[in-house]
Amino acid sequence: MRTASDLKLGEKAVIKDIDNTHPSSHRLLEIGFTPGQEIVLLTKSIFNDPIGLSIRGTIFAIRKNEASCIII
Amino acid sequence: MTPALTKNKIPLITLVGQPNSGKTTLFNYLSGKNFKTVNYPGSTVEYSISKILSKFSINANILDSPGIISLIPSSPDEKISVDSLFSHPKFGKPEIVIITVDSSQLSRHLYLVKQLIDANFNVIVVLTMLDLLRKKNLDISESKLSSILGCKVLKIDSRTGKGLNELLLSLKDSISEISDNEELFPEQLVNTQKEKLLESYRHIEEIEKEVLFRKDPDNGNKNFDISEANKKLVVLNSVRLPNKPDAFTLKVDKFTLHRYWGILIFFLVMAVTFTSIFWLASPLMEFINEVFSLLSSGSEKLFGDTLIGNLISNGLINGLGSVLVFLPQILILFMILGLLEDSGYLARGAMLADKPLSMIGLNGKSFVPMLSGFACAIPAIMATRTISNRRERFLTIFIIPLMSCSARIPVYALLIAFLIPQDKPWIGGIAMASIYIFSIFSSLLIASLVNKFREKIIRESDSSSFILELPAYRKPKLQDVLNNTIKNATQYLKKAGPIIIYLSLFLWVLTYFPNTDPQVNVTGKTAEEVSELKNSERIMTSYASSLGKIIEPVMKPLGLDWRVGVSLIATFAAREVFVSSLALIFKITEEGDNIQASILKAMKEAKIEDTGEKLFTTATTTGLIIFFVFAMQCLSTVAISRKETGSWRIPALQIIVFSTIAYVVSFLTVTGLRFFGIN
Repeated sequence: MRTASDLKLGEKAVIKDIDNTHPSSHRLLEIGFTPGQEIVLLTKSIFNDPIGLSIRGTIFAIRKNEASCIII
Repeated sequence: MTPALTKNKIPLITLVGQPNSGKTTLFNYLSGKNFKTVNYPGSTVEYSISKILSKFSINANILDSPGIISLIPSSPDEKISVDSLFSHPKFGKPEIVIITVDSSQLSRHLYLVKQLIDANFNVIVVLTMLDLLRKKNLDISESKLSSILGCKVLKIDSRTGKGLNELLLSLKDSISEISDNEELFPEQLVNTQKEKLLESYRHIEEIEKEVLFRKDPDNGNKNFDISEANKKLVVLNSVRLPNKPDAFTLKVDKFTLHRYWGILIFFLVMAVTFTSIFWLASPLMEFINEVFSLLSSGSEKLFGDTLIGNLISNGLINGLGSVLVFLPQILILFMILGLLEDSGYLARGAMLADKPLSMIGLNGKSFVPMLSGFACAIPAIMATRTISNRRERFLTIFIIPLMSCSARIPVYALLIAFLIPQDKPWIGGIAMASIYIFSIFSSLLIASLVNKFREKIIRESDSSSFILELPAYRKPKLQDVLNNTIKNATQYLKKAGPIIIYLSLFLWVLTYFPNTDPQVNVTGKTAEEVSELKNSERIMTSYASSLGKIIEPVMKPLGLDWRVGVSLIATFAAREVFVSSLALIFKITEEGDNIQASILKAMKEAKIEDTGEKLFTTATTTGLIIFFVFAMQCLSTVAISRKETGSWRIPALQIIVFSTIAYVVSFLTVTGLRFFGIN
């Protein structure tokens, strides 16, 4: 199962689902990371974490750990 | 439920919006600068409230609520914000809610709009950031959105104020239509289930397709005229809307978030921020010091050497001076932070700092408060409110006093001046920089140690999270930055100011009583010399000196005596008081210019009374510097730490832990230096 944390720089993907068991899952859904939406990995910080994803025209920096509940 | 609107109640308009949606800009427009910033009772969540500017002739209160993402809170602070939106403890339920919506991020922002409408608030939607939307070759039909949502929708360009008049007219309408019996649905009715949330977003996406349309590419009219443009626009509902982030922002991020360049830019930005705090502030600080020393000596001449005269010149004016002397740094710090935040860079900085800081139990959002700590711990601790995770927030608050705040600069400057040869001032610069680097490394070390024992020390165990919007780069709005700067400076004056003044007065009592009118030999001396002698005699026989003698056994291992002990007690008012109290204790009555040279001379001559050894040596002075790096000697910081953490636990631990470290490390330094023959 691939998640947003496995994306390569510049890679696009469509969200399949959000893992409900992750404590940040609800907040991620609320800010627009919903199934069917396209995400792009735009940037990685030093040590490759956090990562910058584009969603619905906005860029969000989230930790890899949080990205791992975005199933693609 | 809130009581129905009585005829006498001034209507309450609450501004709601996601972070970066232009909410504060709109608030500033409507309120001018006459707002008050208040905390929700019993919490650290704050809001600003004001009457709407009288020139707009709308009689209503406007409340700027904290930025929220959703009505379903995900942290204790968010819960307070949401609860207060439904029923404010002081103002009750808002008659009108204005929500700012970034139209370039329509779907994400409509989510909160829908929640508000579902909760039955009387909503007015204000569309902002239209320039960003137009850069994507898109526009939005506010009339369509209005009819779909069933509420008023207006466009505002908050940078130019265009659309503001329409908003005011519409507000007037809404106020005249306020009905008394509209009930709010409690927040439980708002969607909390994942399925409902997804359904809500599906609906929003439908709305988005209805109201957004592509601008005719041939219509490159820069001066946008809405009615004219509307006719020429081609509606392309069926086409999937490109939902890319702002192109300019993506380009800039290629550098600012670049693997190597990004780090370089980050350090450059921080270095510039840092040096400007010091360089820009120092002439202002000198000026304030000059003014207050003039005031002090002036009032001494005016009132003579009497109780009142002394109280005014040494107690009151000095106390006031030590409050105001930090104002330039606080103003400049918040100014620069405001510019960085408004431009969009600050969020990138937090992102870059997140990984290294998370390794020691902190958060990327800890970075700005920590940086602010180099100016003053008080605004820095206030700035930790943006960290949603309590454990990380408390840990950040815990280590902030270790950041070398600007109050320590005069102390370091004096002690370094004592250590280095007069003809080589550049060594002083290196020494100062080393102190800073030393303090940064030790604070990181202490943070990681505290993090190891966090179950015992911090006692908060919620899961760590870092979700931060990287907003589009924009030109900062100076008015907003200035307003925010003034807001923070006022908070500093209100919160720390009184404490510092009370303590200065208390300290004055300690140094003035009980021997208020000492007898000195006046034969053959000028009036000035008599006054100087009296001052010295008074402090040598004061309560402060008795207290200093009690703590002398503690000072001895550090190679210091009761006189330095008294000065260290005095630093609890504010660290820089160390210099002035040394001056007092070593009988420096120099007026004006060169007080530092006189103190240095006195320090060189000072001997420990019973042994006759020199008091200030290389070893003891270095030890004293180390002591200042760690010691938690600022009662204002203790007070604010108590306030922001909601208990005495953290501040008490800070005092115990930092004082112990300060004492032990200072002792080891002095003993170690002496062991190697450096005295």
